[in-house]
Amino acid sequence: MDSAMQEKINNRAEVINSMKEELIKRLNLPYKPEDMHEDISLFGAGLGLDSLDALEVVLCVEHCFGIKIPENNISILRSINTLADYVIEQKERMKVTV
Amino acid sequence: MRALPLHDILEAKGASFEERCGVEITSTVSDKKKEYSMIRDGVGITDFSFMQKFRISGDSGVDVLDQLFAGNVAKIRFCRVLHTFLADEKGELVADAYVANNDEDFIVLCESLVDDATLKKMFNTQTAQQRDEAGGGQLEDITDTHVVFSIDGYNAWKAVKDLFGTDVLGLPYLSVETYSFEGESVLLFRAGKTSEFGYLVMAPKTIGAKLMEALLAAAEVHGGGLCGNNIHNDLRLEGRFFNIFSEGARVKDPLSLGLQWMVDFDKESFLGRDAILQRRGKGLENKIIGIKVNASDGDLNQGEAIFSEGKKVAGVEATCFSHVLNAHIGLALFPVDIAYAGLKFNLGKPDGPIVETISMPPIIPKSLSVKLDEM
Repeated sequence: MDSAMQEKINNRAEVINSMKEELIKRLNLPYKPEDMHEDISLFGAGLGLDSLDALEVVLCVEHCFGIKIPENNISILRSINTLADYVIEQKERMKVTV
Repeated sequence: MRALPLHDILEAKGASFEERCGVEITSTVSDKKKEYSMIRDGVGITDFSFMQKFRISGDSGVDVLDQLFAGNVAKIRFCRVLHTFLADEKGELVADAYVANNDEDFIVLCESLVDDATLKKMFNTQTAQQRDEAGGGQLEDITDTHVVFSIDGYNAWKAVKDLFGTDVLGLPYLSVETYSFEGESVLLFRAGKTSEFGYLVMAPKTIGAKLMEALLAAAEVHGGGLCGNNIHNDLRLEGRFFNIFSEGARVKDPLSLGLQWMVDFDKESFLGRDAILQRRGKGLENKIIGIKVNASDGDLNQGEAIFSEGKKVAGVEATCFSHVLNAHIGLALFPVDIAYAGLKFNLGKPDGPIVETISMPPIIPKSLSVKLDEM
């Protein structure tokens, strides 16, 4: 595997693993991190979170990565992968700004 | 093959048919793009009577179902629905199921990979002992006596409201409520797999034709009409809802398919539990993730190989064309160490077109912007 691909995998895995562990802790989810597929829906079918849990998800991202999720932007909160996309994009932006 | 109760009426309305797992289904009614638009922008009514349907009553009904399904049936609250699955002894998928707690009884709606007789036999033989021990829950197969329609779309709630009243707006996702139609009780499930608003309505087949006409009349007011089942394959994939007839039929392992959320791993017993827990203990080797191929780069077909640095690393398990993204999207089974979104591979051959792994769901449905509980 080329190094660029490995770096992408490592970066994403780090974001996803931190997020899963924090979500399990904050929401008291009955899963191990490896039980949580990154594409499953956070709300409704899937993890079945509700609107109160949404606040915890937002706080989880803020706590883990120091990144704020804009209010009412529910499209970011669809799955762990869509959350990870946002976090990775914001981290890249911060790098460029610095 | 079990024929649909409303076959002749559906045929007169333009439906074509096919057989799937020993049961007749409607394939299409009009062209695919029209049916797609009906559901994304309006409302589509689809005959889902292919589903296998069971009612189980008696105090022990909950115990019987709990022994069968991977999810925790005992924890289903009154008027709520559990989305779970039924596996065989090898821990491989047999049916995707909604289990509803309807007060005095439980209702089970199944989409299964086996025919009616095989599924009923599983229900009967696998649980006979538990039924006896638990005091004998009464299992009734209502597959042949009831019809089911799926009402899906951005405006689905409007059509359902017109028919059953404004209190349907208060139904949370995965809930069930009884309504009256033509003097008969019908069950309305708030459940769908298109990522737009979705409902399933189950009724005695004696009023099936009248109910379908009423649903179609309501749908037409809100920009919709009759759809076939084929379009649901595309809509499910676009919304990243599990489809037992697509990736489920090919992969069969609920863990590789990411269905752990349908399982209560703390339950002492359910069909296939030992095999599933054994695989979970060993750790996942492969898992299914989303992929995308640009429309200009050619097709994406089920069964195609995916290459990395000249070696085959994955296989395509489900595909559709996303009109929203103007791209082919799909699901592919990758080894877990490279099963991440944002990577590029080659499709079909070592120097084939680029196939990109993506985050799912890839679209933002219009229904996400509507808050029914604030109306």
